[in-house]
Amino acid sequence: MRPQVNIAIVVNVIGALSDQSLGDGNMCMMDDGDLGSTGLGGVELRTACLPGQLVTWEAVALDVQTPVEISSITFLGPDGQPTDVEAAAPAVDRDTGRAVWSGILPRGLTPGTVYPYRIELRMSEGDFSVLHVDTPALAVAGAGDC
Amino acid sequence: MTQQAGIVVLIDVDAAVESKTLLGNTYLVDNTGVPGCQEEGTEALVTDMQSSHWIDGSQADEQILNWLLYALGSLPPTLPRNYRSDQVRRHERVGHNDATQPEPGHDESAGQGARVRRRGSGVPGRALLDVHGRVLPETADGSHLAHSRPAPVLVDITGEAVDLKIIYPALYGSPDRSTEGWYWSATVDTSRPGTYAYTMTVELRELMHIDGGWHWMPHRMTFDAAIRITSKPCLNGFTGAGIGVLPLPVVESPPEPFPEIVAEPFAEPLVEPLPVL
Repeated sequence: MRPQVNIAIVVNVIGALSDQSLGDGNMCMMDDGDLGSTGLGGVELRTACLPGQLVTWEAVALDVQTPVEISSITFLGPDGQPTDVEAAAPAVDRDTGRAVWSGILPRGLTPGTVYPYRIELRMSEGDFSVLHVDTPALAVAGAGDC
Repeated sequence: MTQQAGIVVLIDVDAAVESKTLLGNTYLVDNTGVPGCQEEGTEALVTDMQSSHWIDGSQADEQILNWLLYALGSLPPTLPRNYRSDQVRRHERVGHNDATQPEPGHDESAGQGARVRRRGSGVPGRALLDVHGRVLPETADGSHLAHSRPAPVLVDITGEAVDLKIIYPALYGSPDRSTEGWYWSATVDTSRPGTYAYTMTVELRELMHIDGGWHWMPHRMTFDAAIRITSKPCLNGFTGAGIGVLPLPVVESPPEPFPEIVAEPFAEPLVEPLPVL
């Protein structure tokens, strides 16, 4: 088992801003996990990971001269809405510098549980520069998968 | 934010040549979108380079600077690179249809190549186009004043920022059509915050009629700009500080099975039961 799982988010910023959508091939997600992740290359990535593993997200622009950054990642509850846990998470002030989105999957999770999350991407400034998807998820793998 | 920075240098070539200075005739704009940029739209732009560092002070991200030079009163820089030769060829084809005799000064090889060699009063190297893409006549007249200004050429980048090894500028080849295959770029050492000046040496070309012929006269001029580097710590987006556990919601039961991954049952206990005495 690897101690870390990296999730890369590649964004076609011009396409996403033009369509006002991260769908239609404007965003694809991949990870380097070895536990049987599914949905690689799309926006419905399910990253299989084990409790204790470090999960790191990073956004990169397809065109290096366009801006993109992760502005937030919030885990969703059973109703598909962000839970209070995420609402209480400290928002990173943009003046404090670059944010690194990384965290350890807590121990004691039930294998097979899926944790969908909302990932919000900021592309430049303005009201229409922030887009999100609710489709990716982390899936807790069982001990027999490692 | 992950992005290369671009600085557009727009020069009023006629005014600069006439006044023999780039001051007041150069307009610098960058795309960093940072409110800290100063003097944007003038020749004294201070580009704000926001970077970040890890907790041990080491550089956490790299910054890249690109410079693109454009001239006021020129053909749009986004035109295809062979636009000029295509226009000349089209112009000559029309001329051949109108008259069986080639125009005075016409080079027979011009229809096959990208360049027109002019005789007599011709311009060396290239046919002249105006800003609408029309080929200007051979003989000098008032329309020559409307010729498309050639793009300024960045010759060198020097100064404090280079001497102190804050930026590492170099001329790179590129398939980009708007720069005719060449552009200046620099990596930035963002581990040393501060404001650093640099000097750009630019060559402008002026069309002059000398001794019965047209010549491009080069003019080299300089101007100063600067970059301001700031560095802030990298923070974790979840915690606002260091790495912690992911803030997962409390789930009473698995809301959705994950079919691809099935937890295997516990293996047989490795410890054998004690024998019954």
